[in-house]
Amino acid sequence: MTAYVIRRLWQMIPTLAGVILLIFFLFNWVGGDPAQVLAGKISNPEQIANIRKQLGVDQPYWYQLWVFVQQVFTFDFGRSWSTNEEVSRILLTRVGPTLTIMVPVLLLETTLAVLFAIMVAYVRGSLTDRAIMVICTTAMSISFLVYIIVGQWLFGFILGWFPVQGWSESYWRNLTNYAPLPIMLAIFVGLAPQLRLFRSFFLEEINQDYVRTARAKGLPEKKVMLKHVLRNALIPILTNVGIHLPGVFVGSFLLEVFFSIPGLGREIVTAVNRSDFPVIKAVTVYLAMLTMIVNLLVDVTYKLVDPRVSFK
Amino acid sequence: MPRPAALLAACLACAVLAAGPAAGAVERKVLRVALRTAEAGFDPQRIFDRYSVGIVENIFEPLLTYDYLARPVRLVPLTAEAIPEPEEGGTRYTFRIRPGILFADDPAFKGRKRELVARDIEYSVKRFRDPRYASPYEWLFEHKIAGLDEVADAAKKTGRFDYDAKVAGLEVRDRYTISFKLLEPDFNFLYVLAMPNVVPVAREVIEAYGDDTMAHPVGTGPFVLKDWVRRSKIVLERNPNHRGYELDPRWADPADEWDRRAIDELAGRRLPLLDRVEIFPIEEEQPRFLAWINHEHDYLDETPAEFIEQVLPNGRLAPALARQHVAVFREEQPEVTYDVFNLEDPVVGGYGPERVALRRALVLAHDRDQEISILRKGQAIPAQSAVPPGVVGYDAGFRASQQDHDPARAKALLDLFGYLDRDGDGWRESPEGKPLALDYKYNAGSQSNRQLAELWVKSAAAVGVRLSASAVQFVDLLNDKRVGKFQMAGSAWIADYPDAQNFLQLFYGPNTGQSNEARFRLAQFDALYRRSLAVPDGAERNALYREMNRLILAYAPWRLGVHRVFNHLLYPWVKGYKKHPILYTNFKYLDLDVAARQAAVK
Amino acid sequence: MSSVVSNYSLPAPQESPGLWTLAWRRLLGDRVGLVCLAIVATYLAMMMASWAGLVARDWNKEKGVSYANPAFLAGAENLEAREVTNRDFASKAKPVDLSDIDPLAPRYKEWEERAAKIAVTEVKRSETLPFGGDKWGRDVLEKAVKGSEVSIFVGLTAALFATMIGTVLGAMAGYWGGKVNDFLEWFYNIFTSIPYILLILAFAAVFKRGLDTIIVILALTGWTGIYRLVRAEYIKHCGREYVKAAQAIGASHLSRMFVHILPNASHVILVQLSQHVVSFIKAEVILSFLGLGVPVDMVSWGTMLAEAQNELVIGKWWQLFAAGASMAILVTAFSMLTDSLRDALDPKLK
Repeated sequence: MTAYVIRRLWQMIPTLAGVILLIFFLFNWVGGDPAQVLAGKISNPEQIANIRKQLGVDQPYWYQLWVFVQQVFTFDFGRSWSTNEEVSRILLTRVGPTLTIMVPVLLLETTLAVLFAIMVAYVRGSLTDRAIMVICTTAMSISFLVYIIVGQWLFGFILGWFPVQGWSESYWRNLTNYAPLPIMLAIFVGLAPQLRLFRSFFLEEINQDYVRTARAKGLPEKKVMLKHVLRNALIPILTNVGIHLPGVFVGSFLLEVFFSIPGLGREIVTAVNRSDFPVIKAVTVYLAMLTMIVNLLVDVTYKLVDPRVSFK
Repeated sequence: MPRPAALLAACLACAVLAAGPAAGAVERKVLRVALRTAEAGFDPQRIFDRYSVGIVENIFEPLLTYDYLARPVRLVPLTAEAIPEPEEGGTRYTFRIRPGILFADDPAFKGRKRELVARDIEYSVKRFRDPRYASPYEWLFEHKIAGLDEVADAAKKTGRFDYDAKVAGLEVRDRYTISFKLLEPDFNFLYVLAMPNVVPVAREVIEAYGDDTMAHPVGTGPFVLKDWVRRSKIVLERNPNHRGYELDPRWADPADEWDRRAIDELAGRRLPLLDRVEIFPIEEEQPRFLAWINHEHDYLDETPAEFIEQVLPNGRLAPALARQHVAVFREEQPEVTYDVFNLEDPVVGGYGPERVALRRALVLAHDRDQEISILRKGQAIPAQSAVPPGVVGYDAGFRASQQDHDPARAKALLDLFGYLDRDGDGWRESPEGKPLALDYKYNAGSQSNRQLAELWVKSAAAVGVRLSASAVQFVDLLNDKRVGKFQMAGSAWIADYPDAQNFLQLFYGPNTGQSNEARFRLAQFDALYRRSLAVPDGAERNALYREMNRLILAYAPWRLGVHRVFNHLLYPWVKGYKKHPILYTNFKYLDLDVAARQAAVK
Repeated sequence: MSSVVSNYSLPAPQESPGLWTLAWRRLLGDRVGLVCLAIVATYLAMMMASWAGLVARDWNKEKGVSYANPAFLAGAENLEAREVTNRDFASKAKPVDLSDIDPLAPRYKEWEERAAKIAVTEVKRSETLPFGGDKWGRDVLEKAVKGSEVSIFVGLTAALFATMIGTVLGAMAGYWGGKVNDFLEWFYNIFTSIPYILLILAFAAVFKRGLDTIIVILALTGWTGIYRLVRAEYIKHCGREYVKAAQAIGASHLSRMFVHILPNASHVILVQLSQHVVSFIKAEVILSFLGLGVPVDMVSWGTMLAEAQNELVIGKWWQLFAAGASMAILVTAFSMLTDSLRDALDPKLK
C-alpha cells in the first residue's frame, strides 16, 4: 500500500511538469502583453517598458520558465497584475465563499441523485422511469445561463423568497440567506446528468450475476437493491464524485458572477477579462495538483471500500 | 427552503443592528451602495479608474476641492488656507496649508498624532514620477515642475527615486508652505491640485507598507478604510481624527430644488454625518438593479440604460417608485464618447480630400439617432464638439451638422470622391479601384460595446461600405490603440479637470502614442493648442478652442458620439444628495434617516 | 466493457456494414429514437436552408419597432419603442461654417446637388412581429433560425475536430503501445488534471477572439474522453485475428490502424461525436456570454442569450425564450438520439 502510494506520487512528477509547461506555453508564449493594463489612461512607451521590466516579461523565455517553476514550489505567485493583491491571498480568501456554495451542492446533489437513481432503477423500464429520464434529458438541455437569469428574476425578484444577490462576512448568514438560491439553481442543473449517470451504474450492477443469485436466494427486491446493488454501485459513484471534486473549487463562475459571490470562479472570470495572468496561472497549477491528489485518494479509497481491487 | 420576505427583512434589520458597537447603542448611520465595477485599490498615486478614485475621495484630501453645490463647478480651498493667485505669469503657485490637520491613526505613526505638513505634498507629487509605481497619472507632472524631470530621469537609470533630492519647483518654504514653480505657464494647474488622487500621503505609511499600499490608505479625509474584501466589499468608517466640515451654502442656486433640500438638511451641522459606508462592487446589471429595487442598497448610481423604462417610463418616475418617494437625480456628465480613426492608416487615415471625404462620409453614415434612442434609451446628448457641457470652455452655441446622421449626404460624398461600386457586388471600392474593407475594434468583454460595433456595421452597410467588427481583449484594445494598430475603435473620455484643454489635448500632435489615439497631427491645430496654453480663461482662449473644434470637424479624426446622461435613483431616506460632475462620491455630505428606512423595508 | 461478439468472426472490414445494418434496424424499432432523429434532421435541414439563404435570409432587417410585441400580445404596451423626444437637444443654433478650412469646401456645391438627388426611404416599422422583436426590431424567430446555423456549426465542427484529435491520438496510443502510449498518456494526464471549465477559461484568456477561436478552444480541450475510449478499443482489437491476418497479407501500419481497426471502433466514435456536439452547443453559450467569439454580424443562440440577459427584467421575455427553447429542443432530441444510437449500436450497454 505504501509502496503503491509512493509510486503514484512519483508518477505525478512528469504530469505536473507537463501542466507547468502547458500553462507556461499558454501564458508566456501565446498570451498578449499585459503592460497596458497597468499603464493607465495616458502612458508613454518608456512607462510601458518600465512596467514590462517590473513584470519580468522582457526576460528570455528560459528565465521566465525558471521563475514560474520557482513560483509553483514556493507558493509565491507574486501579485495580481490588476489589483496588486498577493495571489496566494486571493486564493485563500476566495476559496471560502466558493466552498460555501459548492460543498452543499455536491453533497445534496449526490445524495439526491443516488436516492432518485435507486428509485428509478427499482422501477426500471416502467412509465415512471421513462418519464423521469425524459424530464432529466430536457432539464439538462436548458442552458445554465437561462436557469440563472430566470431563477434570479423569479425567486429573487418576483416571488421575493431570497435576496437577489449578496454576501456577508457571517458564514451562517451566507448559508441561510445568500447561498440557498444559487445552491438550488446549481442542483437544478447538476442533478439531471448525475441522476442519469447513477441510474446507469445501478442498472449495470442489477444485471450482474451476484444480483441474480441474491434474488434466487429469495431475498426481497428492496433488500437486494439496498444491500447489494447500492454497495457495489458506490464504487463508480465515488469515482464520479472524485472527478467532480476539483471542479468544485472553480465553482460555478456564472453563479458567482450573477449572485455577487466573492469566490474563485468570479475571480478567474475577472482575471480572464483583464488578462490578469498570475491569478489564472496559480489557480490552474494548484487545481491540477489537487486533482492528481484527489485521484490518488479515490484510488486508495477503492481499496478500503472494495477489497477486490488490487494495487497493480 | 423558500423563506418569506419577512424573514429577509428581519435579517436586513439585524444587519443594521449588528453593525452597531453594542446592543442598545445609538442607531448608527450605515449607507449601503453598489459600485458599477470592481475597484483596483486605494493608493492615490497608483490608481486611475474612476471608481477607485471615487472611494479615495473620502479617505484623502487634496489642497483644493470643488464646492458641493456651485454650478458651474467652483474651486474652494480644502487643506489649503486659500486659493493662490498665479505668480510670475502663471508659472508659480504658492500654498499655505491650514495648521492642525491630522492624518487618521495608523500603526505606522507609532501611536502619535500626525499633522499634515508641506513635506507631505512634496513627497506625494514626487511619487507620481517614481518609476517603481508606474503611476497612471504620471503625465500630470511630466515636463511640468522645474527640476522634477531631472530627478525622475536619474531614478529611471538607477531604479531608485531619490525622495530627498531638492527639486527647485517643489519648494517647501516652511512647515506649512509649499510653492510650485512650473516650467511653462499653466492656468489649469489649480485644477490638477484639486484632483482626488493628487493628495498627500504620509511617507512613513508608504514606507511601512511597501507593496501593500493599495490596501492601506491613510489620509486626512473624513473616512478611513475599515475593511476591504477585494471586489466584493469596501467598508468606510468615520475618521475620529477628522476636524469636520460645514456645508457652504453661498454658491447654491436658490432656484434649484436639490440645493434647497441639501441646505435644509445639512446647514449648520457638523459633517460627515454617516458613521459607516458599505460599498459593494457588482458588475452585472441585473443583480445590481434588482438589489436596489429590493432595498438592499440605499441609492442606485448610474441606472443602467436598459432598465430606464422600468424606472422612468415616458420620462416620469414609475408609479411603484413614486409611491415610495424615490427621487431621480439626472446628470449630464462632463464626458464624451467617440470613435477614433487611425490617421496613419493607409485607408481611413490621411489628410487629402478623398481621405477626409471617406471619414466624413462614415461619420454621416453612422446612425447616431439609433445609438441614442435604442442603445442609450434616450439617456444621452449628441456631442457637437469634443468638449462636453459642464467644463470651462464649452460653447453651447457650437452646433455641428457634420456629425448628424445623413445617409444621403454620406452616399453623395462617397460617389463624389470615387468610392463607387464598380464590380457590382453591392460594396464600394476605393477610388483606386481596390476593394474597400474597414475594421472596427471593440472590447470583447462588454455587451454594450458589442452593440455599438453592431450599429457601426449596419450603418456602414447602409451606404455600401463593407465594415467588419473584431472583438479584442480589453488589454489588447488598449495596446492596439496606443501603438496605432487599428483602423477604427471606440473610446470615451471623462474630465480629469473641468477645462476644455483636458479634451483638446487628445488631438495634440505630440501626444501621439499617448492620449492622441487618432494619431492626429495637424500643424494648424498644434499651433492653436500651444497658444491656448499660455492664455487664461476668457474670450481669447474660447476663440482658440472654437477654432480647434472646427478643425476637428473638418478633418474628422473622430466620430463624435454622445455625452451620456446618468440617472441616479435615491430612496427618500438618503438626505443631502447632490451629484458633483467631477467628483464621483459625496458620502461626506450625505445623511441617512435610519428610522424611515427601517419602516420602509418592513 | 465486454467486446461486441458479432465482430469477432468478421474476417475483413468490408463486411462490417452488417453491424450498421443491424443497428439501423434496431433504431427503426425505437420510436423515441426515430422522433428524435426527425427533430434533429429538421434542425439540420433548417440550418442548411438558412445557410443556403432559403429561410431567415433577411434576419438582419429591422422590420419592427424596438422590442416589437409578439403577434399574440399585440395590445401590450411597449415603452421601449417610444420615440425619444429629447433628441433635439438644447442647441438650436445655426450649424458652424467650415468653408474656410474644410478640405472638401471646393466641392460643396456638387455635394449638395448629388445629395439632393439621393432619395432616402423611411422604412415602415411594424408594431408587432410574429414572435416579437429584439432591441433593433429584428424578428427573434428569424434570429433563432439563423442562430441555429452558427450554433450547430460550432457544435458540429468542434466535435468533429475533437473527435479527430481523440481518435488519431487514441489510435496511436492503443495501436503502438509502448513509448508512444506513455507519451500520449502523459499528454492526456496533463489535460485531464486541469478541471475542464478552468482549461477552457485558461485558453480563452490568451487566444484572440473569433468564431474559429471557439472551435479551436472546444476542440483542444474536449478530445480527452474520446481519446481514452478509442485507445481502449484499439488495445482490444490489436490482438484480434483479423488484424493479424491483415498484417500477414502485408497491410501497412497505417492501413491496419485506419482501414482495418477503425471501422470496428467507429460505433464508439459515433456515439462520442454526438455526445460532444451536444455539450459543445451548450458550451458555446457560455463562451458567448464571456464575449468570446461570434462576430457582430452573425447571430448564435449564445449571443442571443447574452443579449437577452437584461431583457427579462424589462418584460421582454421572447428572445430569451426563443433562443433557450430552440436550443433545449435540439439538445434534448440530440441527447435522446445519442442514447438510442448507443442502444442500437451496442445493445449490451443498455
